[in-house]
Amino acid sequence: MLSTLYLTLGIYVLLLILALWRVWRGENAIDRLIGVDLVTVLTLGILVILALIYRDSIFIDVALGLAALGFITTIALAKHIADEQMF
Amino acid sequence: MQLWMIFGLWLVYLALTSNLEFSNLVVGLLIALGLTALLRPSPYPLRLQRIPGMAWALLRYGIMVGKDVFLGGLQVARFTLDPKLPIHPAVIAIPSGAEAELATALSAHTITLSPGAVVIEIGEQGMMYTHTLDVTMPDEAYFKMQRQRRDLLTRILPSPPT
Amino acid sequence: MDAILQIIAIFAVISGAAFSILGLLGVIRMPDVYTRLHATGKVGVFGVVFLLIAAIVWLPAGRGKALMLILFLLLAGPVTAHALASAAYRTGIPFARPIRDDLEHLASAPLNDADTPSA
Repeated sequence: MLSTLYLTLGIYVLLLILALWRVWRGENAIDRLIGVDLVTVLTLGILVILALIYRDSIFIDVALGLAALGFITTIALAKHIADEQMF
Repeated sequence: MQLWMIFGLWLVYLALTSNLEFSNLVVGLLIALGLTALLRPSPYPLRLQRIPGMAWALLRYGIMVGKDVFLGGLQVARFTLDPKLPIHPAVIAIPSGAEAELATALSAHTITLSPGAVVIEIGEQGMMYTHTLDVTMPDEAYFKMQRQRRDLLTRILPSPPT
Repeated sequence: MDAILQIIAIFAVISGAAFSILGLLGVIRMPDVYTRLHATGKVGVFGVVFLLIAAIVWLPAGRGKALMLILFLLLAGPVTAHALASAAYRTGIPFARPIRDDLEHLASAPLNDADTPSA
């Protein structure tokens, strides 16, 4: 169990680096925003794996907060890009 | 409807705190009552004899969505792994066919949830402009699936106040 | 019993990781923004949800929280995808190799009231 979890953690960190590369080298603003969304989701996955490794549910609380924050960030930025105004 | 909202918020609070002591039950109930009083949801008429039909339709809808999501996931996985990348992206106009805006919004949500389809824009009279990864199915197949969704959703949702 | 739960958890973790790898692969290979959105949706819907299923099985203390997080992800994922696709369309990002485009006739006319500055 633990070795599988550590392997998955490594895979997720690699994927996170790939997603960050996409943010850095995006074709346009929306492409970079997709990268940011992807980074949030992958960080969520890393937090859940950490909760499984340490068998501590406090990491899932952190994941809940991050999920809400990432959702609002993506929506607000997408609306800002589309309408060129925030609200 | 307001009772349902209080009950739902209470359940969410209890699930998040995962603590079933009496004091926690009371605090959760107070928070749910306060939030409902603050938000003031419009009261929907909900007749009691409709509930079994609603539950049955909800179950069928859940199974249908699960099947859609699973098949869509497998399809997108196959496209991604194929070295030739055999995608045929297109934008299709699917009429939602529902009168209530909530039913249209929920249909669009369900379509976007299944991998391989994203609703880009909702136009006049609930026309959903959907970007699909693969348009090998004839249009009539998409319309038929949407009609099934619409029928189940109108059975699940309580009738809006007129 | 514990052994069975452990096998289920390991299976869920491996499928979650596999779907996440597929999603990232899709993001790198797909030709344009709209098709990339299909691939990222899969990381959110399948990858993390499978990990959370493992958490439900393996972490008794975090069961309610993990279930709420699954529901939130399933609710929020499509909303994000739609917001991104809509923003991409309104800023005029073109489709790569489309078969047909039913939205074309709307492109010249203003979409809803997005192009008119609101007061």
